[in-house]
Amino acid sequence: MKNKIIMFWAIVILTIISLVIIKVKPIPLGLDLVGGSRIVLEAQTTDTIAKITQDMMDGLKTAIESRVNAMGVSETMVQQMGEKRLLIEIPNISDPKLAREFLGETAELEFKKPILDDNSNVIGWEASGLSGEDLNKAQVGTDAAGKWLITLEFNGKGAQKFAKLTREFKGFPIAIYFNGESISEPVVQQEINGGNAQITGEFTHDAAKKIVDLLNAGALPVPAQIIEENTVGPTLGADSLQKSKTAGLIGIAAVMLFMLVWYRLPGLIANIALVIYSLIVFAIFKTVPVTLTLAGIAGFILSIGMAVDANILIFERTKEELKSGRTLFTAINSGFDRAFTSIFDSNMSTVIICVILYFLGSNIVKGFALTLAIGVLVSMFSAISVTKNFMHLMFGTGQLKYPWLFGLKESDINEAYQASETKRENAKFGVLD
Amino acid sequence: MSYSVLDTKKIINVVKYRWLWILISVIFLMPGIIAMLWSVKTYPTHTPLLVGIDFTGGTIIKYSVNTEVSTNDIGKIRLDLSKNNVDNPVIQVLRPVTTEADSNIKNIISVKTKFSENGQNETIDAVSEVITADYPEAQLVEVSSVGPVLGKQLFINSLIAITLALLAIVIYLTVRFHFEFALVACIALFHDVLCVVGIFSILGLLCGVTIDSLFITAVLTVLGYSVNNTIVVFDRVRENLKFYSKKATYDEIVNASVNQTLARSINTSLTTLLVLCSLYFLGGVTTKDFVLVLIIGVVAGTYSSIFLANALIVVWNKFEQAKKAKTAQ
Repeated sequence: MKNKIIMFWAIVILTIISLVIIKVKPIPLGLDLVGGSRIVLEAQTTDTIAKITQDMMDGLKTAIESRVNAMGVSETMVQQMGEKRLLIEIPNISDPKLAREFLGETAELEFKKPILDDNSNVIGWEASGLSGEDLNKAQVGTDAAGKWLITLEFNGKGAQKFAKLTREFKGFPIAIYFNGESISEPVVQQEINGGNAQITGEFTHDAAKKIVDLLNAGALPVPAQIIEENTVGPTLGADSLQKSKTAGLIGIAAVMLFMLVWYRLPGLIANIALVIYSLIVFAIFKTVPVTLTLAGIAGFILSIGMAVDANILIFERTKEELKSGRTLFTAINSGFDRAFTSIFDSNMSTVIICVILYFLGSNIVKGFALTLAIGVLVSMFSAISVTKNFMHLMFGTGQLKYPWLFGLKESDINEAYQASETKRENAKFGVLD
Repeated sequence: MSYSVLDTKKIINVVKYRWLWILISVIFLMPGIIAMLWSVKTYPTHTPLLVGIDFTGGTIIKYSVNTEVSTNDIGKIRLDLSKNNVDNPVIQVLRPVTTEADSNIKNIISVKTKFSENGQNETIDAVSEVITADYPEAQLVEVSSVGPVLGKQLFINSLIAITLALLAIVIYLTVRFHFEFALVACIALFHDVLCVVGIFSILGLLCGVTIDSLFITAVLTVLGYSVNNTIVVFDRVRENLKFYSKKATYDEIVNASVNQTLARSINTSLTTLLVLCSLYFLGGVTTKDFVLVLIIGVVAGTYSSIFLANALIVVWNKFEQAKKAKTAQ
């Protein structure tokens, strides 16, 4: 009994923490639900690029998509519009200026070799053939003194070029240009073979991070300019969403009423458990954070369905145990243990599906998989701990005095039939032996 | 006389009428399959379903207005547009960030839709007619074509992901249950998804219902629901097989298990349908098709987990026994 009371207070504290998190943290919502910024980007022709081809637009689209991902905004929509424009819709942009800089800016990294006069003085820079295209990845790091620097990792070809460059110009400076501007001119101390390089300079962390993100996202194949920027309403339509919200609440109320009428007191407990369950799941969504789109909400609703299902399974099983003449305490326990095997296997299958969809699926699929997986894992917890704990605290031990509390008839209990023994430990994880 | 758990009330006999249950599924799936084949043959996109602007791209038509556009106004525009044969439009209200030269512009109404078969101009006229009826001062600002949100590659990647997920489920269920249970669970799942896709293929042919990116999400949800449902019933079969395999025949055990889980199967489906029907009848227009997929999926999933899956398991078992008897001879 003591453990049960500790458990009860643990649940109460968890609920309060969830409530605080929900109150404090905003939940990022997707384009379909709240809208965001709509930016139109136009590819520009230059002296070297006379005509914008479809290949260039495809490249530009890929580059923009990876840049948006680098910004940490998920659920973005990038569409080609007309011949040389991209329509980009980004949800929840806290700083539109950031998006603007990020999307429009090219990311040209170039290593330049020195032009030397007869006395080995540097009189200018020329292209060395080593550029951002030879890069595997870039990272922000610190040197021994704690100053921010950028570490570069070249791919195989890049490493060869870099080795050749450092061999040739040992003792001389080389220049690293970013977007046509020299950001660092280190002197080569020795030949570097490993394909790793560092850019040191007076960077702030943010500046270093921005360069790294841009480098990792790749250069834009054509210069692009933002020609239009608007905030935009939800794609699913504010009108529709308002109605669906009300409808969803009515639906949930109907489910709760059903549980109450059919399962009586356990139904009430299940309803309370469901509310606690929803609070915990929402708090987790906000902490991760998960960008909620309709797909994400679908995953969440499915997990609520599974949580209700878990409760129904448990109650049906407990009723069966009661009918077979058990005392309340054992009936509740074995009801849980027997139902747990099916809850475990069905939920595990769902989680397996989610993991695979999350790692392989596209954006929409990812959002769905993430919310469903979180929901299902929490629902296992809520069915096992919350419902069970409340049931024990509420009913205590002894015989069931008022069968109607379970939606049972007096005669059901009296005509108890012989059932096989269920041993708790045997039913713990799945297969009964 | 000693009572046994297997002596529960038998409402449904899945074993005796097993071929009937399988036949019902086949009969229900046939029209959908035919519709899908017909669609692949006749649609210019060669897809089994009528695809919407998320897959094909479309046009964005924008109007500037100098009044605020409220949520109710969007609802009215949507209704009027569908009356004017512009189906499934994406209506969004834009608020210009940069103050442009014409500061009179308060909002921009952006309508994204598919071109009608009769060409671009007809679509633009139809939309303009509706917008100018509500906002006489509205100006047509821009018409531009937009590409698809969902490329072919993305779609193929999703299919690969789903296939791999199913394989993983077969492995998991083979370990936890038996191979035949894993296989039948997947057939039941395939049945549910095919049912949904088939009905939407028919709806596409008959009423021009298109599918969008939400459809993929809905099908995934049906998939998750279906696996869940089938496993719960199979779990009972597994448990009863452990306890009673010496006292009762395989057929009796399967039949009893189905009837024991019947209350749960019906109650779970009922609670899910309560929410879905509320969303379908009271909810917004843009999510209606999404909810319809789920409703069809839940009904199909309930049927397959009670009838189809267990009928197939019994058929498989009979087949195995017959094979055993043959080798014994």
